[in-house]
Amino acid sequence: MSTQKMHIDRYERNWMIVSAVLLVLFASAVSVAAFGMGIQVPAPEQRVNPNTVATDPNSPWSNPGLREVAPGKYDAYILAHAIPNWEYLPKEISVPVGSTVSFYVTSPDVQHGFKVQNTNANFMVIPGQVSKLTVTFDEPGTYNYICTEYCGSGHGVMYGAITVTP
Amino acid sequence: MSKTSFNIIYVIAGIFVLSATAFKVFQPIQVLPRMRLAPAYQFINQDGQALTSETLRGHFALYSFTYTHCPEPCYNSSDTIQEIQSRLGEVNLGSIPVSFVSISVDPDRDTPEVLKEYGEAQNADFTQWYFATTSNKSLLKTIVGAGFETYYEDKGNGEFALDPGFVLVDGWGIIRSEYRYTTEVSDADRILRHLGVLAEEVQNSTGSAKLAYEAAHLFLCYAP
Repeated sequence: MSTQKMHIDRYERNWMIVSAVLLVLFASAVSVAAFGMGIQVPAPEQRVNPNTVATDPNSPWSNPGLREVAPGKYDAYILAHAIPNWEYLPKEISVPVGSTVSFYVTSPDVQHGFKVQNTNANFMVIPGQVSKLTVTFDEPGTYNYICTEYCGSGHGVMYGAITVTP
Repeated sequence: MSKTSFNIIYVIAGIFVLSATAFKVFQPIQVLPRMRLAPAYQFINQDGQALTSETLRGHFALYSFTYTHCPEPCYNSSDTIQEIQSRLGEVNLGSIPVSFVSISVDPDRDTPEVLKEYGEAQNADFTQWYFATTSNKSLLKTIVGAGFETYYEDKGNGEFALDPGFVLVDGWGIIRSEYRYTTEVSDADRILRHLGVLAEEVQNSTGSAKLAYEAAHLFLCYAP
């Protein structure tokens, strides 16, 4: 093995250093976010039976909608379905400003997406699984939730709205 | 620094990263997440005696929410608890007691006498299965809604809108699992498995094994 040092151009060396520093920065940012601040990706929560989830009277999605569990604290059970017409149930939700809403979303048919505009809520809706994410609405206004995964010919009209009242 | 010592540092770092990855992938230890603190409360049980959150310190407590006038077809959490109560021997719990608390959301009609009658109809073992409520309705809503994060609402016609569910609390008063809707695995199977996982952690998480259990919490190695 040669002991002669390989020549690396100054600019190339700088470029390599910057790349390495970026990698370390990103890895530490992810670690701090995950372990220090407890931020979690919206992983599927639980498995449910997609054939009965919308009809079983014991399933919250047989009566989807908003439930106030405590003052300013809500659970929103939302059903995203392509059959018969691409839509979310319910289509509209209204909460007062400052509310914390936990979204529980599932699908009885095909894969959908769920993105609440102007928040960082954005996850996949997989039939047979429940996706959960919690959002606090501090600004009044209308936040649309839209389907972000192509789910058929009605994909483009699949949306709903959260009205945050002052 | 010499080249050899550099190599040693690389090898040690490599082993560390590999073993951390293997721990996460193979999950030799699984735990239940420490979700949040359970609410403190003071209820009146089926014997007219006080039941507080402190009474159940050191117990694994499984909370459920119901009311005795629930019209048929009514989701009956008592069936699940009966099944767990009778199959509790399948789980190695060490010496940790398990308690079941059925909280009534209808304190007007569910007096201690009514709850006792209801419990007897469910074949409840009153030494470990409590039926409780409080007549302070706003407090009850705060405990169940804000504390256990379970929704219920008085519809005004004698019926309640109620999302059936269970909440599992450990001996320190920390919520470790929630069962909000019927999943592919029966609730009784999941709850029994989770009781076993919890008991294992409580019994084994001492000394250096505690570090491994804390690592399982850190790497989110949660029992399904």
